[in-house]
Amino acid sequence: MQRKRRTTILVKSGKQLAKLFAGEIIQNYPVVTVQEPQNGLIMIKMRESAQNKLFYLGEVFVTECKVQVGNVLGVGIIQDDQPEMAYYLALIDAAYNADLAETKRWEAMLTEEENRIMAREAQERFTLLKTTVNFETMDVLGGATN
Amino acid sequence: MGYVAVKGGTTAIEESIKRLRYERLKDGRVIEVEVIKSCMRGLIDRIMSEGSIYSRDLAALAIKQAEGNPEEATFLLRAYRSTLPRMHYSRPIAPKDMCVERRISSAFKDIPGGQILGAAYDYVHRLLDFDLYNESKREILQWLHLYTETFSQEVPEDHGKLPKVIDLLRREGLMTETERDDTEPQDVTRDNIRFPTRRSERLQILTRGETGAVTALGYAAIRGYGIVHPTVGELRVGYLPVHLDYPMANSQTEDDVIYIGEIQVTEVETLVPEVREENGKAKIEFSIGYGICYGQNETKAIAMSVLDNCLEKSHINSPVHDEEFVLMHIDCVEATGFISHLKLPHYVTFQSELDSVRKTREGKQHDEKI
Repeated sequence: MQRKRRTTILVKSGKQLAKLFAGEIIQNYPVVTVQEPQNGLIMIKMRESAQNKLFYLGEVFVTECKVQVGNVLGVGIIQDDQPEMAYYLALIDAAYNADLAETKRWEAMLTEEENRIMAREAQERFTLLKTTVNFETMDVLGGATN
Repeated sequence: MGYVAVKGGTTAIEESIKRLRYERLKDGRVIEVEVIKSCMRGLIDRIMSEGSIYSRDLAALAIKQAEGNPEEATFLLRAYRSTLPRMHYSRPIAPKDMCVERRISSAFKDIPGGQILGAAYDYVHRLLDFDLYNESKREILQWLHLYTETFSQEVPEDHGKLPKVIDLLRREGLMTETERDDTEPQDVTRDNIRFPTRRSERLQILTRGETGAVTALGYAAIRGYGIVHPTVGELRVGYLPVHLDYPMANSQTEDDVIYIGEIQVTEVETLVPEVREENGKAKIEFSIGYGICYGQNETKAIAMSVLDNCLEKSHINSPVHDEEFVLMHIDCVEATGFISHLKLPHYVTFQSELDSVRKTREGKQHDEKI
């Protein structure tokens, strides 16, 4: 599974799934923390829609962690102060970079979680879309409305 | 007049700091950061935007420490921000990727995807609700249960991504198509601005501007100090995903990026009609004012779009078209810092002024005697 899709699922899913995957790696392989979870910033580069140019919107507070599983590095970066989650994400990233056997098993679990996330988001969207305006044209004689 | 160095006040300052703590705690109650995070959405959004750092946790903490004072909370966030390393830059985020929660247009009734009112104060009576004095947790949970149980199994297909209203006008030729410009933006937090500024600098300063200041100047522009009368083409509130290029390889493919989370923003495009000459003929078309800010802060985003449009027309002789006037006075930390410095001891400078006044008086009395 590609990194974009995988990290989206893991971040949106919360700590439990990432902890489960990370636990397997810690149990089966030598793990070295290269960079302890550290707080920092990511500058947001934004494309504005008026003139199609780039500008900096502001920064986002993040936590970043780097680990080594065997000889392979992995990085975990997540919004806000989430040291444990950054560590788990780094381990999972290293596992995928090393193409470890565990990652093959995770695919089905990630897909299942993705479906759950999509269903949850769809439900939230359904409620939100109740606020969509349904305009009805009124029969107004002798004048226009603004 | 010579200078005399003095010191003192250390004990008084220490006691003042204790007094400040006492004022926050004197009723024997504390508000939890999590409660602020859950219940003070509007203030958090404003502080994140003016502090120019997206973190609801940090904004809530700053609000607690500042006892709800926005300028103090913004200062705290900016100060903390300055201690943190900038680790990465995000991939460019496109407005079309927004998962829209609210979207209205004052220009068109019928827009693809419809007008989605979302959550806004625009449709409620602005009357104090005295029932909130006695709101109980049990009632809240009951209401939440009732509201959420109406969920359906139907899955909306739009996934929150909706076409832009201005793209409709572009397709009709009523608005000039713009080429994608990938020029790296200037960063006002790293380099001092020089006038005339670039667009990237203007937008960065406007988006982190103090809400009241941006609104006041935007209002002035519409009221008569600018030549704009905009229509809100589209106002959206929603979430933008934040992705980074993978930092440990040179890979920059779309699928190899890291997702770190999402940010809520308010984005506005206002439409301003303007006359242009083409082949000797007057042609009316729309120019766009662009506004965006962290969180849901619609007034600020609209005002920013008005000012953006004004500053694109810097040849007009009016304060709101003068980029130095606008950009140098809307930053919360700079403005409040300068005003606050007036509280600092000015004993020597004031004594000097006092001496001048006395000498003038003495001279006047001397002249009157003659």
